[in-house]
Amino acid sequence: MFKIGLNDNGEVAVSGRLDAAQAEKAQEFLDTVTDNCVLDLQGLEYISSAGLGVLLRTHKRLMGSQSGLELVNVNKHIGDIFRYSGFDKLFVVRAAQ
Amino acid sequence: MMQRKYQRSFNQIRKIVEDTAGFFSEHEIDDSLRMKVDLSLEELFVNMVTYNTETDSDILIEMKPIEQGIEVSLTDFDVERFDPTMAAEIDIDAPLSERTPGGLGLYLVLKMADSIHYEYRDRKSKITFTNRVTGE
Repeated sequence: MFKIGLNDNGEVAVSGRLDAAQAEKAQEFLDTVTDNCVLDLQGLEYISSAGLGVLLRTHKRLMGSQSGLELVNVNKHIGDIFRYSGFDKLFVVRAAQ
Repeated sequence: MMQRKYQRSFNQIRKIVEDTAGFFSEHEIDDSLRMKVDLSLEELFVNMVTYNTETDSDILIEMKPIEQGIEVSLTDFDVERFDPTMAAEIDIDAPLSERTPGGLGLYLVLKMADSIHYEYRDRKSKITFTNRVTGE
């Protein structure tokens, strides 16, 4: 079950599986973000290129206004996907403790 | 061996994931391969649904256990030839301004799979990949 929403710290919490069937839902939410944004990915179990595309489009839009996405609490599997994709060079990525 | 057909819809991804989980469990395939298999399956399925629009045929997915892993095939019927193994390289070192989401899916498949093979015959497009624990 994919979920995206604000957590108690004012960060965007993403959990579940961000696949091609859920990418539109994620994009709709992130399209409302207008400033620097921390994405808490602690509960994210899976991401495909559709989900990566959502992050990339949002980050590029925000960087246009000197803002951006920061990806935190990234588990090993998701971190591997970011590394394979070169996303670790495009985003601030912080691994889960 | 599992053979199952899926409608050409992203909504089928959930069903594919459930069936894959069941197959892994039934055949005691190492769970460390699940992420790679799920990713390659989704990317190849989505690619067929998105680009092979000239057919309404369901997509056939086959799985079989192999030594230390799994072999997965996807077959699309009555379509033009498209070989995912010839997908363009992605420059993952390119700056943000030059990065686009396009092409990333097949690039990841080629990175994740331990082997990948494409065949096209009688307007059937079939892609087969394997993942093994020893291939990690």
